[in-house]
Amino acid sequence: MPSAGTPTAAPRRGGRRMRPSRLLFVLITVGLPMVLYLGLVIWPFLQAIYYSLTNWGGFSSSMDFIGLDNYKAIFSDDVFMKALRNNVILAILVPLVTVVLSFVLATMVTVGGSTTGAVRGLKGSSIYRVVSFFPYTIPAIVIGLIWAQMYDPSKGIVNGLLTHLPFGLGDRFNSFAWLGETATAMPASIFVIVWGFVGFYMVLFVAAIKGIPAELYDAARIDGAGRLRTMFSVTLPMIRETVQTAYIYLGVLALDAFVYMAALNPTGGPDNSTLVMSQDLFKTAFSQGQYGRASAMGVVLAAVTLLFAALVFGVNRLLGGKSDK
Amino acid sequence: MAQSNFAVNRRTVLRAALAAGITLPISGALASCAGGGSSGGSGGQSTGKTSANNPFGMADKSSVDAVIFNGGYGVDYVTFAGKIVEKNHAGSTVKVSPSTQISQQLQPRFVSGNPPDLIDDSGAQSIGVNTIASQLEDLAPVLEANNLEGTKIADTLYPGVKERGMVGDKMLVLNYVMTIYGLWYSASLFEANGWQPPKTWDDLIDLGAKAKSKGKYLFCWGKEAATYYQTMVMDSAIKEGGDEVRLALENLKPGCWSLPAVQGVLKKMEQIVKAGYMKPGGAGTQFTAAQAQWSKDQAAILYPSGSWIENEMKSQTKAGFKMTGIPDPTLTSSSKMPFEALNAAPGEQFIVPTKAKNGAGGKEVLRAMLSKDAATNFAKTKLAPTIVKGTVPSDGFGSTALQSQIKMLDAAGEKVFNIRFVDLYGTNPDMLVPWNSFLSGQLDAAGLTKALQGITDKVAKDSSVKKVDIK
Repeated sequence: MPSAGTPTAAPRRGGRRMRPSRLLFVLITVGLPMVLYLGLVIWPFLQAIYYSLTNWGGFSSSMDFIGLDNYKAIFSDDVFMKALRNNVILAILVPLVTVVLSFVLATMVTVGGSTTGAVRGLKGSSIYRVVSFFPYTIPAIVIGLIWAQMYDPSKGIVNGLLTHLPFGLGDRFNSFAWLGETATAMPASIFVIVWGFVGFYMVLFVAAIKGIPAELYDAARIDGAGRLRTMFSVTLPMIRETVQTAYIYLGVLALDAFVYMAALNPTGGPDNSTLVMSQDLFKTAFSQGQYGRASAMGVVLAAVTLLFAALVFGVNRLLGGKSDK
Repeated sequence: MAQSNFAVNRRTVLRAALAAGITLPISGALASCAGGGSSGGSGGQSTGKTSANNPFGMADKSSVDAVIFNGGYGVDYVTFAGKIVEKNHAGSTVKVSPSTQISQQLQPRFVSGNPPDLIDDSGAQSIGVNTIASQLEDLAPVLEANNLEGTKIADTLYPGVKERGMVGDKMLVLNYVMTIYGLWYSASLFEANGWQPPKTWDDLIDLGAKAKSKGKYLFCWGKEAATYYQTMVMDSAIKEGGDEVRLALENLKPGCWSLPAVQGVLKKMEQIVKAGYMKPGGAGTQFTAAQAQWSKDQAAILYPSGSWIENEMKSQTKAGFKMTGIPDPTLTSSSKMPFEALNAAPGEQFIVPTKAKNGAGGKEVLRAMLSKDAATNFAKTKLAPTIVKGTVPSDGFGSTALQSQIKMLDAAGEKVFNIRFVDLYGTNPDMLVPWNSFLSGQLDAAGLTKALQGITDKVAKDSSVKKVDIK
């Protein structure tokens, strides 16, 4: 219709051969991103995999091919295995806690309000939304540094408040090293990550819940469903895709976690209890000069991340298949 | 709709962040592709004629490219020496570039065969020297040359400079700043309480009790610096057992942490921890905050550290603190080395790459730095002695810490040693972990011994790590 004036944009009926302008269009829209993708994403990946099979030290162009020795070395290295384990713990707990918490909060501010009249959130919900989104606007490294100070055993605000607890409870927090005890270092670090992300995912879920037709809630309410029942039987199934997406992003973030962990516990925490793979990778490359081995760690990290994403997709499909019926 | 766009952006960001983590090690190699095989031997070297005023044959009107670690000492002391070189070699220029990420920034330049002419390879992100040993110049000729006043440089230095710089059979590193390890305290605080600076571990334990009665702790520590206590323990153990202990540790011998001298000291340290003389919470405290507990709050009365401590805590030291250093304590009266023996290691590693375009120029800058004017300038402005003797007047430019450093060095004479394996093999991050547990009382001396032995054994057995034979 509008193409009538321009002969080059003729209808494609019967024409299997591309016209030059169309070819140009395809090259620009598909070819250019493809080249960028191959050059900046795929090629470095392949290079990393290649380096992981060498003993490259990082400071010369010479390296020997050593097969899978790097992988053997890192899988028999208890420090790396501990870092891998910590990453798995993070990948399980961080998304779970964040998603549950932000889903509950999102429900409260959108559909958790009064049960009479139109479906709506709690009073003053926009204030809660702003307040809880606020941490997300602060860069991760700043969050890490602020919390590292707040957790300081002698002068941090956390112990400053806790030591005033009554009945002698407060004494237990005198100079208590939140980031220095094996039992608390990891939970304290997870708390910081969750604190930083709950607001963002709450807003994400709020947007998804707003897209659910109000009639569904009205119908559920007429049928006698309470708040909890509505949450699990209406809200959750309707925003399942968003929850899955949130789960994957948070998992990828937890598998990296470099910035938070490096700011909170640059040395890996007591007994390496907060060391993550990316920190071990950084140390192996830059302070021990074993770039080949560090590349192998990177490859393992990438593989674990892909595996995690596949797992979340798989679980969602399994659960989704049931509720679709 | 808008929602899903946002989500895509978010994912891209996350993926980019992840990719950055993975591709970090590769960036150097990519740069090497860009460099395009310019790594042909030492082709870039341009040299002029050697003469008395130009012992390394720095080319006329050439430029020197120096990359200097911009840490506690800054870079202006190299600029100062550069000015001297520019004056002595009219038409030549010395460009000093500060850097805090030596390893990351210079890695691509090494790979592409275009390294700078002089590097101060120091700081947390320094390059492990044994990983680039084959690409570095022998700096022994610098010590053999005369300084700008006409004296042979080797004759003007404190002992241990050459030994500390040896990698294999060549002196590849010239460490410029004299660093003295010991215990630091406030002379005014000790005077006010009538305390004597401790000379033995038993003195230390007595002092711990006295401090406790005044509501103070003997020591405090920070999580990134827990291994300062490892240095103190090793120093004492080396004084107790002599070179035999030092060489066992340095060459990562099996069972080195179980030697009687090491164990004797560790037992005493354990006693201090168990008696509650350590300020609790160190494993969760950032190290400069912990150091301020000693220098400002005076919650702890002693701190084991290197002599950089005065400069590092300058802005957070109580007025009238009178910071003073003493050597690390001895274990028994029959120790192989006396109390005065000192762990004094020159630090700030200067290196000259073989493939540098103007390596002779780099050495010429070093020669200027080792001459009287530049060395005195350093001591005066940084309040730390260089490896050049006799640049600090007895008033220590008004610093009690500097006075005590010179006093310790003079008292030690030739009885100076140092410990290199931790830096050589980059094991400090691993060692911090058990030390933090030990100092907070979660691990006993036996557990610490086992953990440390595990770390040294791992390096010793790893055939991909090149070992340096230390004598």
